[in-house]
Amino acid sequence: MNYKYINNMLSEMDKDLSSKGMTRRDAMKLAGISGASFMMGGSNLSAMEKDEKPIAKSGVDAKIVIVGGGLAGMSTAARLTLNIKNPDITVIEPNKQSVSYQPGQTLVAAGIWDADEIIYNRDDFVPEGTKIIEDKVIDFDPMNNQVTTAKGQVIDYDYLVVATGLQLDFERLEGLEHAGRAYSIGDNSRLHKAMGDDSGICSIYTAEGATKTWEQMQKYIEKAKNAKDGKKVQFLFTHPGTPIKCGGAPKKIMYLANARLKEAGARENAELIFYPNGGAMFGIPEYHDAILEQFKRENFKWHYRTNLIGVEIENKIAIFDSQWQEKGPYDPVMKDFEVISKHEKIRVPYDFLHITPDAVAPREVAESDIGSAAGWVPVNKETLQHIKFKNVFALGDIAQVPMGKTGGSVRKQYKVVVDNLISQMEGKPLTSKYGGYTVCPLITDIGTVMLAEFDWSVKPTPSFPLDPLVERWVHWLMKVYALKPMTMYGMLSGKA
Amino acid sequence: MQVKFEFAIYDEALDKFELDEKIYSYELNEEETETYSILKSVDLHLYNFFQESESFKSWIKDEVYPNMIGGKIAICDINEISFRRYYFFKVTSADVHYEYFKKLFKIHHEIDWQGREEVGKEILEQLKIKRQELIIELKKDIVENEA
Ligand SMILES: Cc1cc2nc3c(=O)[nH]c(=O)nc-3n(C[C@H](O)[C@H](O)[C@H](O)COP(=O)(O)OP(=O)(O)OC[C@H]3O[C@@H](n4cnc5c(N)ncnc54)[C@H](O)[C@@H]3O)c2cc1C
Repeated sequence: MNYKYINNMLSEMDKDLSSKGMTRRDAMKLAGISGASFMMGGSNLSAMEKDEKPIAKSGVDAKIVIVGGGLAGMSTAARLTLNIKNPDITVIEPNKQSVSYQPGQTLVAAGIWDADEIIYNRDDFVPEGTKIIEDKVIDFDPMNNQVTTAKGQVIDYDYLVVATGLQLDFERLEGLEHAGRAYSIGDNSRLHKAMGDDSGICSIYTAEGATKTWEQMQKYIEKAKNAKDGKKVQFLFTHPGTPIKCGGAPKKIMYLANARLKEAGARENAELIFYPNGGAMFGIPEYHDAILEQFKRENFKWHYRTNLIGVEIENKIAIFDSQWQEKGPYDPVMKDFEVISKHEKIRVPYDFLHITPDAVAPREVAESDIGSAAGWVPVNKETLQHIKFKNVFALGDIAQVPMGKTGGSVRKQYKVVVDNLISQMEGKPLTSKYGGYTVCPLITDIGTVMLAEFDWSVKPTPSFPLDPLVERWVHWLMKVYALKPMTMYGMLSGKA
Repeated sequence: MQVKFEFAIYDEALDKFELDEKIYSYELNEEETETYSILKSVDLHLYNFFQESESFKSWIKDEVYPNMIGGKIAICDINEISFRRYYFFKVTSADVHYEYFKKLFKIHHEIDWQGREEVGKEILEQLKIKRQELIIELKKDIVENEA
């Protein structure tokens, strides 16, 4: 672990705390956390290092190939290295800067962090002894235990871990057909060319897009500040009809735009409207209710069941498929009225349009034998083992696991994959289980976060003994200062 | 105590149910009455109780469907408690049924953004399996050879 880095973050946190007349100990008390190591002092961190117990390493001997060297892939490689005596691990990853801290994109998009605070060099996180192949897998052949790369290499494996993450399907939108599909990091110039430099359209879902979002946001806040004719500047935020990474992010950026508008004294001249494809604010009823109250408090507008299907960039019109339900005929068997779904296209003018694109599995996964009909890699949701190929595991955004597309879920999943992969190699039963945990620090303002944590029980599962529905400054401190070091130096070293 | 039952007949070849529109009355003994009053608030437990009850099954075989030995049926209604949704659910069925199954099958993907059609199809997939647990086979009684 990079303790120097962590200590730097902690001293930044201390500055923030002392400006509010508080010590870190007070903050910990306030949060009710005595055991959260990242809020502790440097001395405790060194103690942690000394306390690290030696791991009984497995003597298994087999070639493990990991496809995708992002958060999930690299953390898995690191933990396998810690747990196998003579590891033979290869990571295939085309991107030199694959190990980004994507949750930080939201903060970059609101001008709180700089872009260079979230981009890292992949090679700084490659565990010792792990081979890197800088290439992209274009074909999976699980029947023959092989993958083929774009440069034409055929690579054999004994065990395969799929961690390719997901793709952002912008090209599905009418008017953005030339945008292609994007990844959160890497070269997305096609997308940004299609969106235009100064069109008011933006998306925090790519690293470059986060910076562009902040540029556009400032421009339209300025417009709202100078609005004189009583015409409100229209800020639109969308949420698509597919599972997405970090389900709260489309709302976080809305809250942050709201905060910046208030700060500029321009909120009165702006309208903030949320267009989700679904019929609720959040799948967990408790969080849905809390968010609805926040929306009312902040004077946001929202229209459920509206799915963005196109944009007219020249005219600044967003096109939505608006769906609703009507009472249908009486069903004498069920003794109830049926529900008939209807829909129509609606055209909405915007000044600033934040797009959360559909998330899809990369084609090379979706169209190969390891992908399911929906594209994602079908795994047993608890053991994370492929349902057909027992020597294949998947985790992170690409795994077909309900509610699992967050870094917080990866943090639970990679330990399960490593345990089970080793058990599989040793011919033992797979006993490690993922319980569906996921986390979404919902930024509701600059300085407050509601920490939405839940699992398959579909109930809030708070890690701290605090009311999970309250927006808190301590969670903001965690989000801004503690989660990044925990991810970058804890998870990526295979330990946290 | 008398309890009113309605049934559906299962066609295995077509994997389809047909509603028998007749209502049948079954007399519960004292012990069954007590169990009924405990279980009536938890629908599937009540179903299981009757499904497991030998005297109930004999009643069906002897009095309700004496000509259907070897066939398969399912209970649609027990007094006012209805199980019809298990056999006749459609993607367009009323919200109460749709919400009931979403909860039962824990369909809470990412954050629930799918459309009704998609969720409806998933419910139907899961129902295919769930229904099999509810089907009652009218087995031929095995007569012990008293040689
Ligand atoms: C704006 C935003 C906000 C977020 N906020 C939060 C948050 O607050 N909390 C939280 O927990 N999570 C959050 N997340 C989600 C979190 O970042 C992701 O869930 C996490 O990064 C998933 O890790 P992964 O390794 O599966 O995918 P990634 O980190 O995306 O890595 C996938 C890697 O696979 C590589 N790859 C793809 N295809 C191939 C191929 N064919 N061959 C070889 N390599 C390939 C890619 O180049 C990439 O490096 C957020 C994400 C975004 C975009």
